[in-house]
Amino acid sequence: MRVSTSDGLVVGDWPAWPEVTAMLEAAGAVLAWDVLAGDAVPAARVHDPARAAEWLWEIYGPAAEDILGGARDVTVPADGDWSVRDACRTVAQLDWAQAWWPASLSAGVPALDGVALRAEHVLALSGVEHLLDDPDAVERALGSVALPADADLASRVAALAEDYGIDLSPAPAPARSGFALAAGGDSGGGTTVLTGASTVDWTLVPAGTVDAAAPAEWAVVRRGGATVVDVSVVPGPRPGGPLAARFGDVEVTLGEVDGLGRVTGSAPVPASVLLLPPEQRAVVVYAPGFAVPVMPEPGAGARQAAIIAYARSRVGSPSATLTERTAR
Amino acid sequence: MSTATATLPRGLVIARAWAGLGDAVAPLSNATGRPLTRTVKLILDPLVLRPVLHPEFAAGAVAVEHVDALRDRITGAGPVLAATASWFLVFKKERRRLRVTEGNPQDLYFQRCFELATEHGMPGQDAARTAAAVLAEVHAQEGPTVAGLREFVSDEATAYELTRLIEATWAATRRSPAPVPAPTAEFLATCAAAPDQALLHALVAAAAGSAGAADHDRPGVAHAHGLTDRDRPSRPALGARASKTNLPKPFDRSIVERLFTPLTNAFLRAGLADVPSLVRQEIDRSAGSWQLADEVSRVVMVLGREASAGLTGDPPTGDAQARLRSRWEREAYVHRVLRMPSSALHADVRGVREAYVRRLWVRLHGRELRGDTTAADQVWDVLDGVLRSVILDQRDRLRSLLEREAGS
Repeated sequence: MRVSTSDGLVVGDWPAWPEVTAMLEAAGAVLAWDVLAGDAVPAARVHDPARAAEWLWEIYGPAAEDILGGARDVTVPADGDWSVRDACRTVAQLDWAQAWWPASLSAGVPALDGVALRAEHVLALSGVEHLLDDPDAVERALGSVALPADADLASRVAALAEDYGIDLSPAPAPARSGFALAAGGDSGGGTTVLTGASTVDWTLVPAGTVDAAAPAEWAVVRRGGATVVDVSVVPGPRPGGPLAARFGDVEVTLGEVDGLGRVTGSAPVPASVLLLPPEQRAVVVYAPGFAVPVMPEPGAGARQAAIIAYARSRVGSPSATLTERTAR
Repeated sequence: MSTATATLPRGLVIARAWAGLGDAVAPLSNATGRPLTRTVKLILDPLVLRPVLHPEFAAGAVAVEHVDALRDRITGAGPVLAATASWFLVFKKERRRLRVTEGNPQDLYFQRCFELATEHGMPGQDAARTAAAVLAEVHAQEGPTVAGLREFVSDEATAYELTRLIEATWAATRRSPAPVPAPTAEFLATCAAAPDQALLHALVAAAAGSAGAADHDRPGVAHAHGLTDRDRPSRPALGARASKTNLPKPFDRSIVERLFTPLTNAFLRAGLADVPSLVRQEIDRSAGSWQLADEVSRVVMVLGREASAGLTGDPPTGDAQARLRSRWEREAYVHRVLRMPSSALHADVRGVREAYVRRLWVRLHGRELRGDTTAADQVWDVLDGVLRSVILDQRDRLRSLLEREAGS
């Protein structure tokens, strides 16, 4: 692995995009895996070598000493006791899943069970407590854990909570009512002049609010003597927060639910939108207060498609975390 | 390992020695078989390795010539550690049987288990009875409690007397005429990597902490630090009750509110004085510089104020400022990776330093109540830990906000 010192001490190739990054905040260093690359060995940004030296050998074995000693290129042996590194990966993977798991009815990616995710997360976290940046991370995490349905997982979490003197609450009944597409519906009426569909940029909306694969659809319609743009998106497993869309300079509040279960909104537009060059005839969906609307960076759509394919491959896969493996 | 550096990470040496102890110490180990963080902090460090007596075993790198000695020390303590682990299981069982839920069992029982293991070896036939007796002692309702505090101040005559005491103590307070800038830069330059006890001593001896608070009664100064909502700090009320949420800013808290949080934590409560002494000490403390009692705490307040001055805005000056700045800037990246609101950090930029100073005050106040002294090598842990805790609380707040919205 390459070791670079041009921008702090960095080991390996740091993941290029937030949505592919499984990250762990350790004492004196941050570890990161690119979920699409599938490497067991993470990249690291070391910001406090003295603190990191205590545990970096758990991640890189004997190469840790070379990394901290100024080597520019190191080899991490395949053989060794990597149980701590694997537990680190599980923690990071589940943090990734909580943020970026692309639940989508249209793409066939089932939503994760949030209660199971937190339970599995805190169990893995307890195995790496000694190298975490936050010495109280396990207690903090136990504070938002509930007893999962899985009996084995539940008993292990209960034992851990007991060791830390924390009372667990039973899990609330899962509310998935919003995560279904209706069979039919109506349209807003009027004469459709122009239609299109744009990928929803995940970084602009909180996890689970929007179906990760379904595009935002828009239509410029003549209705009641005015020109309006209708925008609709398909909600994800955890809808509810405020959503809006930008079409050119026009702001559209997405506050209605149509007969298909889609989240929709309309706003008047000047007829001149029809003269916009095609690349600007796009809708940017975002959550006000969460992000500001910007056009997606090139390649975002392809990246999202790759993550959706990756997530599909995790369901049922023996190498995935329990939470991903048993998603349905 | 190469011989060029001739050291090994202490974590590695401990992990290997620990692995040699096998399943007997599993109750003191985590899921990956390493000693629990609290096993190191509460048992191995203070009771087995004792770096105060054996500086060669202190955290950090261990010179290769001391590696065998460190390993032998842990291996030699194997039987007592195994017995400690067995005692801990007995304690957990008794705790469950007695339906005790208060406090963190590791915090509360680890050192007691080690004492019992040293004295009796493995738990014997009457182990359950012994454990129950220790549990009763640890969780005794005596000592200061929130209920005891409420009862104490609810007596009319006592409340009257204490209110007069607050007035008299505050009336007698004299502050130094003008703030003197403290020479903190030298200590802050090295406190993270190579803390210098002599430099800290010098700051304490020069009363640099008190001097740094001399302008607090000028309008707006304490307000700007985020320590009060008032124009200038005023005499606290005695108070009657408190709740954990919606506590006012530190200088605006009543005497009862100041004592409330420390009394709700079983582990912290254990080392506290009785309620009447606590209340009288707190009244005294409230009239001091920074409303703290020990000069070293006041010095750390000044150090924290200086170190947190570089969180935003102009480039940081000095090592401590640079390290805190780097933690704060890392957070913007963490927010993107964890898919948290991108705008929240910008809104909080001004608030972060105030939140920092407030949290630092609460932490130092707690240390004073427990009688913990702050040595030079603990200062950075406090200064850095406070920022971490401000940041993590902010994350928790944002998360629950998003969840509430998703549930609406």
